[in-house]
Amino acid sequence: MRDVFAIGLGITSFTRLEYPLIEIAAYSSLMALKDCGLDRVDHVYVANMGGGRVNKQTALGSALVDHLSLCPAGAETIENGPASGASAIKTAYMAIASGLHDIVMVTGCERMNEVNSLDATDFVASLAHPLAEQIYGVTLPSLAGMFTRLYMEKYGVTSRHLAMVAVKNHDHALLNPFAHVRQAITLEGILDDKDAATNNPIIADPLRFFDLCPVSDGAATVILATADVAKKCGRPMVRLAGVGQATDTHAVHERDEPTDLLAVRGAAEKALGMAGLKPSEVNVAELHDAFTILEIVESEEVGFFKKGEGHLALAEGYTRLGGKLPINPSGGLKAKGHPVGATGVGQAHEIITQLRGEARKRQVSGARIGLTTNFGGFGNNVVSLVFTKEN
Amino acid sequence: METSILGFKCKSCGHVHYPNRARCRKCHNPEFEIVPLPKTGTLLTYTHAHALPGDFEVPKLTLGIVLLENGNRITGQLDIPNPRIGMKVQGRIDTVRKTGYQTFKGMIFREI
Repeated sequence: MRDVFAIGLGITSFTRLEYPLIEIAAYSSLMALKDCGLDRVDHVYVANMGGGRVNKQTALGSALVDHLSLCPAGAETIENGPASGASAIKTAYMAIASGLHDIVMVTGCERMNEVNSLDATDFVASLAHPLAEQIYGVTLPSLAGMFTRLYMEKYGVTSRHLAMVAVKNHDHALLNPFAHVRQAITLEGILDDKDAATNNPIIADPLRFFDLCPVSDGAATVILATADVAKKCGRPMVRLAGVGQATDTHAVHERDEPTDLLAVRGAAEKALGMAGLKPSEVNVAELHDAFTILEIVESEEVGFFKKGEGHLALAEGYTRLGGKLPINPSGGLKAKGHPVGATGVGQAHEIITQLRGEARKRQVSGARIGLTTNFGGFGNNVVSLVFTKEN
Repeated sequence: METSILGFKCKSCGHVHYPNRARCRKCHNPEFEIVPLPKTGTLLTYTHAHALPGDFEVPKLTLGIVLLENGNRITGQLDIPNPRIGMKVQGRIDTVRKTGYQTFKGMIFREI
C-alpha cells in the first residue's frame, strides 16, 4: 500500500451560514486547493448527512465536482451519519493507498439551519432505531442523558465534571477564529449562579444546555495525496498513518455493558495499531464531544485514561491547552460547532493544522502525533484517524 | 389476546432479541420464533427529555431503559414523575407517538 499525506486544508466558519449548501462546500474546497497550490484532483468525496432531507439536494458529490469545474474527475457522496466526515477520509485513504487515485479531495458539508430547530432535532433523531427508539420520541440528547446518568452512578462523574468540559472547550474556541460559539463561560455562571437554571436549563437530565453542542452549518476540506505529490506541494508533511472503524448495536439498550462505547475502543485501537503507536504517544486529540460526557468517556475508550478516570484527568487540567494531552484544542463539537457531515473532516483539519504547527494561539507545542474520533449515531459507527508529522 | 411487544427467539440457540434482526447476534442463525416480551422489570436508567421532535405536543417526556424480567432490555416512555434507578416497573401498551398520518403503539411504564 502507498503512504497517504494531507496536502491541502480549507474550512468555513462553523456557524449559521446564509448560503446554499453547495456554496458552503465550494468555499472550503477552493481554500484547500489554494493551500496546496493544485488546480485539479482525481476524485472528490463529499461527506454529508442531511442534503437529501434538510436541503432537498442529493448527489452532492456530482454537484460539487461540477461547481468547482473539476469534471471529469470522479465524485461520490458519503453518508455515515455524524461519522460521514471521517468515513469519507477513510475512503479517500483507500483510494490513494490502493493506487487507484493520486489526489483526492474530501469535503464535508452541512447546512442544518435551513430548517427550524424542531425539524433539525427530528432529522438527527432519525439515526436512532426506528421501531425500538424513534417511536418513543428518543432523540440523541435523550440517549446521551440516559447514558450520562449511568456513568455518574457507576464512576462518580458529576455535573461539575461535565461543565468543566464545556468551560475548557469554550475557552479553546475563543482561540479559534472559525469556531461557532465564542463565549467564555464559568462553572459558577452555569452551575452555581442564582440564574443558572435559566442560563443553563435541563435539556435531557442530567444534561443541561451547556452540555450540548450547537446546531451548526459549515464545511471543511482535506486534500489527500501520494508522497510524490505531497513533496512537490511543499507544505509540511503530515501523513495519515492510521484509519480504524468499528460498529456496535443500533438500539443502545441492546449493548451488553451500557456504559461501554465499544466502537470507540475498537476504532481507536485499529487506527493506532495500524500506525504502530500507543495511546500514550498521542500529543493532541479531537474527540467527538457532541455531549460533554462523550469527551470524558471517549478519552478513556481510546486508551488515554483508565475506564472511569477520564473525569479525574480533566479536573487536573491534563486535557486543557497547556496540559500534557490537550483534547479538542479547536473547541470541539461543543464550541467549534457540529455541522454533522462536516464534523469528521473538521476534526482532521484541526489535527493536521496542529501537526503543521499552524494553529497559532491554540498551538499544542511540539505536536507530532494526533488522533481523531468521529462518533456516528449514539456510538454505533465510529471512525478514528491517526496523523503523524513526517520530517 | 393481550397485546404485547414481540421478542424474537433464535430457533437455534434460544437467544431472545429485541428489536428484531435478520440473523441471531450470538450464532448467526436467520430463523426466529416470535415470543411476547414480559411487561414487568427494573428501571436501569432514565431521562426527562425536553426539546422533542415537533410532533410531540408536550413540553417533556420521561424516557427510560428497563431490564425486563426475562433478561431483555427495552427502551420506553415512563409515566413516573420521580423515577429511581432500580425501581420495579410495570408496562402497558399504549399510543406513544402520533405523526401526521401514523399512530405508534409502544411500552409505557409506571411504578409498581
